[in-house]
Amino acid sequence: MIAVLGLVLGVVAGILTRPVVPTGVEPYLPIAVVAALDAVFGGVRAMLDGMFDDKVFVVSFLSNVTVAALIVFLGDKLGVGAQLSTGVVVVLGIRIFSNTAAIRRHVFRA
Amino acid sequence: MTDGTPHRPAGAHARHGGPAPHDTHERAETEPAVPEPAGPRALLDALWPPRVTRSQLLAAALLFALGLGLAIQVRAASSEETALRNARPEDLVRILSDLDDRTARLEDERARLEEQRTDLETSSDQAEEARRQTRERESQLGVLAGTVAAEGPGITLRIGDPRGAVEADMLLDAVQELRAAGAEAIQINDVRIVADTSFVDENGGVRIDGQPVGAPYLVSAIGRPQDLEPALNIPGGVVQSLENEGVGVIVDRPETVLVGALRSAEQPDYAQSSP
Repeated sequence: MIAVLGLVLGVVAGILTRPVVPTGVEPYLPIAVVAALDAVFGGVRAMLDGMFDDKVFVVSFLSNVTVAALIVFLGDKLGVGAQLSTGVVVVLGIRIFSNTAAIRRHVFRA
Repeated sequence: MTDGTPHRPAGAHARHGGPAPHDTHERAETEPAVPEPAGPRALLDALWPPRVTRSQLLAAALLFALGLGLAIQVRAASSEETALRNARPEDLVRILSDLDDRTARLEDERARLEEQRTDLETSSDQAEEARRQTRERESQLGVLAGTVAAEGPGITLRIGDPRGAVEADMLLDAVQELRAAGAEAIQINDVRIVADTSFVDENGGVRIDGQPVGAPYLVSAIGRPQDLEPALNIPGGVVQSLENEGVGVIVDRPETVLVGALRSAEQPDYAQSSP
């Protein structure tokens, strides 16, 4: 519940304060958000599986975000930033789908 | 990334084994008794009642960051700039050429309007200049024709004539000498001297333009004093010839000379101005 409250508070703060993102970080933000979403869905699934561990969740969240940003950064340096970010988004999307499928099976037993 | 998320049972169990074995192990052990899917109740249990635990707080902090990033990104992506960034090259080319066309049209319009403005400005300037010149010319001509009063540097000439020796031609000589020296406006006593002024002898005096004028004759002339005074004083000139007649002449050079006598402007009967 507190975790959900944290998410809601984050969205509200982002809308209200309208922070300015530094231009250097700007290209990595969408990928980082998608990677974080992947970690969150993985965490929810682990919770429903009864094996949620906060340490694992924190590490996976941070490493997901970092690695996604690194891949995009590397892609930008190599000149294939757009393609590589598409690839990252596809992979993360597949993982989000499989996790939501597991969550769905838990919640709806179907 | 795959080993980071805790949804693979094998890896997760391996990690849990060491540091925090108790509750997860207990659950893992009890779980085989319960059917495999946890069901919606597990989700509700996790949500309510709220438990302030370390894991909840950590998750809340991370989700706060996620929500923040999400809000920022959604707002950034919905801004107009991003619409262009995501547009296809063909669309961009079309938009660019549209903008070029629009710019060219606006430039044309601006040039036209500026030209119009310049025209208006110069025409009003010209009209103003013409009016100014006309006014100037009017006052110049007024001074010449004697219809306006004039003042300025010049000389005054006082001809004291107790015996009535001064004749019309002497005054005419003085006027012509002054004119030749550049006098711009002249009056004798209260009569303005202009181009068609007449001097006629009368017994004991002179008629100027039909008006009787008596001694002493006071001549005021506006012009360059340094020119006017020597012109009168040259040997054999006006002053000398008057003095030869026994007439006292005093030439003075005051600060300003006022020629205040006026003469009505007469419309010519036959002559018309021809441009």
